[in-house]
Amino acid sequence: MRQNTANRFRPEDRPFKRLTIFFAAVIVAGSLRVCLADEPKPDPAGIATGDKTTAMDAGGNSFVVTEPTDKNDPDFAAKKKAFDEYQAAAAKEPLAVKLADSVGHVRVATNFAWTLNTGYLVLFMQAGFALLTCGLVRKKNAAHLMMLNFAAYVFAFLAYYAVGYAFQFGAVAVNAAPTNLGGVPALNKFLIGSGSWGFLGGHGFFLSGPAYDAGSNCLTLFEVVFMETAGYIIVGAICERITFWAFLLCELFIGAILYPVFGCWVWGGGWMSQLGSTMNLGHGYVDFAGSTVVHAVGGFCALALAVILGPRLGKYGPDVKPRAFPAHNIVFVVTGTFILLFGWMGFNPGSTLGATDLRISVIAVNTNLAAIAGSAAAMLLWYFMFGKPDVTMACNGMLAGLVAITAPCAFVSPTSATVIGVVAGVIVCLGVLFFERVAKVDDPCGAISVHGLCGWFGAVSVGIFADGTYGSGWNGVGANSYLGHAGQGVTGLLYGDTRQFLMQLSGATLCAVWAFGATFVVFTVVNKIKSMRVSPEVEEEGLDVPEFGMSAYPEETTLAEI
Amino acid sequence: MKRVDAIIRPHQLEDVKSRLTKAGVEGITVSDVRGFGRQKGHSEVYRGTEYAVEFLPKIQVTILASDDLLPKVLEAITEGARTGKIGDGKIFVTALEEVIRIRTGDRGDAAI
Repeated sequence: MRQNTANRFRPEDRPFKRLTIFFAAVIVAGSLRVCLADEPKPDPAGIATGDKTTAMDAGGNSFVVTEPTDKNDPDFAAKKKAFDEYQAAAAKEPLAVKLADSVGHVRVATNFAWTLNTGYLVLFMQAGFALLTCGLVRKKNAAHLMMLNFAAYVFAFLAYYAVGYAFQFGAVAVNAAPTNLGGVPALNKFLIGSGSWGFLGGHGFFLSGPAYDAGSNCLTLFEVVFMETAGYIIVGAICERITFWAFLLCELFIGAILYPVFGCWVWGGGWMSQLGSTMNLGHGYVDFAGSTVVHAVGGFCALALAVILGPRLGKYGPDVKPRAFPAHNIVFVVTGTFILLFGWMGFNPGSTLGATDLRISVIAVNTNLAAIAGSAAAMLLWYFMFGKPDVTMACNGMLAGLVAITAPCAFVSPTSATVIGVVAGVIVCLGVLFFERVAKVDDPCGAISVHGLCGWFGAVSVGIFADGTYGSGWNGVGANSYLGHAGQGVTGLLYGDTRQFLMQLSGATLCAVWAFGATFVVFTVVNKIKSMRVSPEVEEEGLDVPEFGMSAYPEETTLAEI
Repeated sequence: MKRVDAIIRPHQLEDVKSRLTKAGVEGITVSDVRGFGRQKGHSEVYRGTEYAVEFLPKIQVTILASDDLLPKVLEAITEGARTGKIGDGKIFVTALEEVIRIRTGDRGDAAI
């Protein structure tokens, strides 16, 4: 006879609680690092952010001319002359210089508004993914899916607030300061590594000290919602059988370590972004909005967890052939996909961190083209293979296109974006079939194929399709000229840059290895201490009531009391 | 002719169905029901208020069997549905007075 399980911590959950507390203690201990004086001052009130030094024209030319310091520079004489002329003009027109301060402030303010608002769009994607994944699973697990998505946001955020942001962006000023937001110069320390070989940031734990800054907080908001995206991706592969405590551990792990480490290497001024300068590998590893930093990290983490957990009960029959568990609510699936598409309008264009970067329109169009191309390709392919266009694959195809364009969106032409979308649509269809039938990894929502495989492909496609029209000076490479052309930006194989392609290929693969490997190691240990799966009885009944004490559709499981 | 109604666990439906078809049964009707026997239910708490989850989801399987097939049918259901734990269910056998196939008008054993 079932015991009254109301609000009691079950004895079998205690090891998990201990693990979570231990993890939290590690976070606290690791975050007790004090940053010292003699550092750039953070600006929490936002009154010192944005001035004439941030005033620029459309071509990115600064209003203020800086004094050249390198006497051995061949252009030293010309630069000194320009500087002297600026000094003289500034002395003659002090009002113009004051106006430049306002202009610089307004530019930064515009970009703050842009970055924050696109960040809110990405936040809204949480709702989209919750609907999508909930609709794709069985009715008896609907509340479980919703709670996983909800708790993912909550707990990954905690971990990122405590240490994740500091690990990822603690040193962003060293090599890759986001100048659109005023520079955040106070984030300038690596915990592990230094200079061009940084591995982990070391400023801004608990968003305090150097990170208590208006510009830094703008970046924090934008970057935390990107981390959250990686956090919820795993839900799609581990749902319907993972215990809640194990899931919270996964989210803390992603927010504190898995995501920020790779994110530091690529976006936080870390070593992968500097490989253009240090090892002549194009512009270093380039991932505009996160095909690998966000999606492949989530997708390959999901793969590792799905392998450790094993398939759902009854998914593979005694003849080892897969069984279908049809989606319980296609309405949710499509609505969720549309919300994700809408949110992606923040995800990709927002990654310029500035409305003053007018490439945002090209990015927005490229994003949409890849989305529709991916969906069309998936629908057509599925129609030819199975005779009917599958609604869920049409949605997965769109998401595949979106994931794949996320890295190259700023660097490619609309036609290239369409091609990338089509290829991603094909990849996701074949990937879903492969994992289901061949690898026998149970992935209820196709998360591994959509985010892992297409994320990898997206980063590689930067190295193929980037046409050099944008990204001049990316990661500090080729600001004056690149591949013999002034103003040439990030370039791929089809436009003459082999080294960029090699960089993308190896970088994307490293991402997959990191995300899968780190997750597999950590959670194999966790699973050995205490199984991360619910009991077969609970899995049969559905996780809604046993895990959370309530059903998503109670009228159908309990006769309503009158 | 007999009518066999079996209340079984939803998870066991696949197993019961494959054993029945192996036993020679060609038609099955399945419905979602709720109920309890000695298994009873349990209580949960919703936003601080306790409520009873008494009626558990089950599947009712209805089959028509000619008298000579009946033992095989009962064995198939029992073997397929048994897990050994409380809540495995029950089988009811009732005498069937008449059965008609609508399309052809067949009656009796020929209509099963």
